[in-house]
Amino acid sequence: MAAPLRLTAKSASPGIASGPAFLAERPDAPAPSTAGGYGALEKAIDISIGELERLADGADAESRDIIDFQIEVLRDPTIAEATGARMEADENVVFAWVATLDAYIGELEAADEEQMRARAVDILDIKNRVLGALAGTPIADFPPGSIFVGKDMEPSRFLAHDWSKGGGIALFSGSTAGHVALLARAKSVPMVIGTGRFSAADGDPVRVDGDAGAVVLKAGGILIPSPMPARTSAADAQTEYGELRTADGVPILLSININDPAEIDALDPATAGVGLMRSEFSVASIAEAANEERQLAIYRRVLEQAGDRPVTIRMLDIGGDKPLAGFEDLPSLSASGLRGIRLLLARPEIARVQARALLRAAIFGKLSVMLPMVTFPDEIDRMRELFREEAEKLGRRSLLHRMPPIGMMVEVPAAALMLDTFGSAAFFSFGTNDLTQYLAASSRDDIDADTGKAAPAVLRLLTQAVKLTSGKPLSICGDMAGNPHHLPGLLAAGLRHFSVAPARRPAIRSAIIGLNADGTGAAGE
Amino acid sequence: MTSGLRSEKQEPEPLPEPFKVNCQTEVEVKHGVGLHARPSVTFTRLAKSFPCSIEIAVNGSDVWLNGKSIIKIMSAKIRKGSILRIRADGILAEEAIRALKELIERNFDEEKKHGRTA
Repeated sequence: MAAPLRLTAKSASPGIASGPAFLAERPDAPAPSTAGGYGALEKAIDISIGELERLADGADAESRDIIDFQIEVLRDPTIAEATGARMEADENVVFAWVATLDAYIGELEAADEEQMRARAVDILDIKNRVLGALAGTPIADFPPGSIFVGKDMEPSRFLAHDWSKGGGIALFSGSTAGHVALLARAKSVPMVIGTGRFSAADGDPVRVDGDAGAVVLKAGGILIPSPMPARTSAADAQTEYGELRTADGVPILLSININDPAEIDALDPATAGVGLMRSEFSVASIAEAANEERQLAIYRRVLEQAGDRPVTIRMLDIGGDKPLAGFEDLPSLSASGLRGIRLLLARPEIARVQARALLRAAIFGKLSVMLPMVTFPDEIDRMRELFREEAEKLGRRSLLHRMPPIGMMVEVPAAALMLDTFGSAAFFSFGTNDLTQYLAASSRDDIDADTGKAAPAVLRLLTQAVKLTSGKPLSICGDMAGNPHHLPGLLAAGLRHFSVAPARRPAIRSAIIGLNADGTGAAGE
Repeated sequence: MTSGLRSEKQEPEPLPEPFKVNCQTEVEVKHGVGLHARPSVTFTRLAKSFPCSIEIAVNGSDVWLNGKSIIKIMSAKIRKGSILRIRADGILAEEAIRALKELIERNFDEEKKHGRTA
């Protein structure tokens, strides 16, 4: 009988998982629709009208009136004209349409008559209905406990899947620095990459060994033994509430990084808060980026769950290797290499929607807003101004809001070297993944090969940068913070606030307790 | 069914001269609450059933608004006692004007719609 086939791969997230293969690639699978733009919006409007007509069937007279009004607004020719005019001004079609509706919503909200003001919410409702239709049906989920086998995996697909039943990921190619790898490590989902193309049938038993970096396939009808999926140890769950201290008694803050609102459940009492929420993983498409209410609901959930602990939400870090579905219709943008805050400032319609959602969410907890990829101080000033303008508009509409502190991610070497010039940043957080990439001139795919070698250079830059922060709140939220190996260097550099993936928190916590604040090992260790 | 985002699609085809009509009428709005959502829906739906362009102007204003746009109709704040001018251009223009005028005179079929008696 043939022995099981073992393929050498590269570990992207530790742990071992076994389960039936789910083959992500179907030879006849249609390419994802990137037709986007205009046709997609028209289609979403038609879908919404259809939904409303079905709702109208059997509705009482009062409800019918509202639905009829909503349908009529969706078919309004002047909305089409205004949207077209905005598109000619080079706005993305979805944002052009949203801005047009928002303008009418604003007009209605400001009306003298109660009856007119009451219509504003009806238009808001259809706006969100169409954005929902535009976001489309989510990519089909796969059975819980499966091993995902494919060339690559979309972050939204990872996030939509229920990993509590185990399962793992085996990618033909991929990168350990890729976003799915980052998500898998955060959720302790075993994952390997670079297996090369292999053939398996749907449902075949597969084992992913994220510790050794291997995939094992059945052969000759032998089923591979299925060990229990590795989960994070629960031993650390009983950590005492309160402050974490180094061996010599210096207080340290330990926060978590989250990628989707569900991960906030990992916020246990020993955690100081959310040091980084990457909003681009909950805002997966242009339709969601345009949906203020949806974003508000996500941020609100995280803030309410965090209670009185601080939550730092990073504004959309898109562009470059992080595309936003539906943005392909702006070739000038995708080719420009714009990303992070540069892209947000170049496409303020995206930033404005998120700014409004963040301003409105801020009343539900201790929110800070972090700007991605900041290079120059004026980028912060311009984004602050945008927040001020949106706050003023919200005020005119009598919508509750609060201005959150606005800080910056320090991940561009030019910014790290000049931190003393960023007077308008309320706080700093080091993003070591990009910092390493740009310091070492690595590509995103090669960064894991260079990270170890580049670490001394990154540490030296961090040590210098910490001295330039003039007492402003400072933290580190990059992968380096989650690696106990780098802790002595980071402590020695003066860092006292670490934000790490929930799965890394116990290891970092133990490591900090065993170290002095200057990074040396505690006596007796 | 299309949402009509491509507004150029809605332009009526050019027609030989005898078929082209341009006409106008004037009517006083007697409806109690003016043209709010429900009557506006009735008005724009009827207007859209005609292939000609339909525009309205309120109380002697020379700003002509698209009579097929519920947003425009509502924001025109047409109240009881307003004088509404309606003009139509194109196929069935006369018929459109007549039908819309009658709709306003019938108070937008409000009573009929909800089964109430006037």
